[in-house]
Amino acid sequence: MLKIEGLKKSYAGNDILKGISINVNKGDVISIIGPSGSGKTTLLRTITTLEEANGGHISFAGVDNDFQKLNGKDIHTIRRNIGFVFQNYNLFNNKTALQNITEGLIVARKVKKSEAEKIALKALERVGLTDRQNHYPSQLSGGQQQRVGIARAIALNPQVIFFDEPTSALDPELVGEVLKVMQDLANSGTTMVVVTHQMNFARDVSNRVIFMADGYIVEQGSPKKIFENPSEERTKTFLTDILANV
Amino acid sequence: MENIKLIVNFLGQLLPAINITLIVSLSSIILGSLLGLLLAAARLSQSVILRVLAGIYVSVIRATPSIIMIFLVYYGMPLLFNGWFHTNIDGWNRMYFVIIALTLLFSAPVSEIMRSAYESISKGQMEAGLLVGMSPFQTFYRIILPQAFVVALPNFANSVVNLLKEGALTFTIGVVDMVSKAQMIVANNSGGYAWQTYCALALIYWVISLAIDKGVSLVEKSYQKKRKTIAV
Repeated sequence: MLKIEGLKKSYAGNDILKGISINVNKGDVISIIGPSGSGKTTLLRTITTLEEANGGHISFAGVDNDFQKLNGKDIHTIRRNIGFVFQNYNLFNNKTALQNITEGLIVARKVKKSEAEKIALKALERVGLTDRQNHYPSQLSGGQQQRVGIARAIALNPQVIFFDEPTSALDPELVGEVLKVMQDLANSGTTMVVVTHQMNFARDVSNRVIFMADGYIVEQGSPKKIFENPSEERTKTFLTDILANV
Repeated sequence: MENIKLIVNFLGQLLPAINITLIVSLSSIILGSLLGLLLAAARLSQSVILRVLAGIYVSVIRATPSIIMIFLVYYGMPLLFNGWFHTNIDGWNRMYFVIIALTLLFSAPVSEIMRSAYESISKGQMEAGLLVGMSPFQTFYRIILPQAFVVALPNFANSVVNLLKEGALTFTIGVVDMVSKAQMIVANNSGGYAWQTYCALALIYWVISLAIDKGVSLVEKSYQKKRKTIAV
């Protein structure tokens, strides 16, 4: 469904992504793990064209083109079909929880206001925040904000949702509520690509784990294979280090 | 008691000239804000040339005392128009020169206020807008601008009050505003009651600036709820 080939990205002479190829199928829940600075976040940001790629090809939602040749229409199509959940939530601060969700529907998708509100309420219900619909982001906890962020993404009914370290900015006691929502989404068949440091989520919820380091995909496979029987030394070292700290 | 009566009397004589002050101030605020917006856009633009030009403009204008700017425009612009466009603008209403001078003066701080307000809004707001499918302009207009507006408001109000006060120099090129009216009153009284006259004038400026402050704080209050920044 989403196919990326040879994606490259460099900042000021530093190669961040050195030729990444990924294939996401419908219903996949893919966890991307790896040490800080390995390019995980940049990968998501480059696919959604928030960052300009320096090379590579994308086939997705009818777009079949080199990243550097994407026109405005292609970019719009790609963004329209990818939901994005940010590390720092990035809720619109001047909008209520409900308006955060209806904004994209009304302004970008031209959905009628009453219809958009229905969709938004359903999305809020899925993340368990119907009672907070009229709260502004400043009046919500981090966990609640992130759940609104997730509701905002699912309301647009994208083909795939990208999660960029969705729990990294949260206080530890708020991580659980967000992971639970994500797990429910995964169980309901939502296609998800999740950059995460939550090894439990990667192991228990996803059907594929990608281990990245230094701008490469070092290895990928089922959670069982990656966690129990990794073939690469880098993966073993990383997992030993990170699991020792849990 | 006698003095208070005099001041009230002078207030009555000065107030009719307030429309000149208001016209000059309002025009300069509107035009200066528009120019400031363009300057802010230039300073935030990708183009190095635009950024440098706007930067130089702002630093020169900010360093120019208002009275000098008024004289520069008043004496310089007719020469410029004559030389470049072969047009004689000596006959222009002198108020126009003041408005142009104050517009130039106002645009510099306002562009800085707008620029810093824009930059204070996290980049993530724009990214989130783009990723729910809105265009950059839609995101700017619906998400960034309302937030930046609230950030800019107190400083903007400050600049407006400054402009109002700088506008008191309008009389220097012979426009009959409240200040020049006050001078006439003093002259008519052969130099008498000068402090009562200027006291009345100061009172008027005070009330206008109070009104500006009050207006701004009302607007601010209505935004208060949304303004609290999130803890990230």
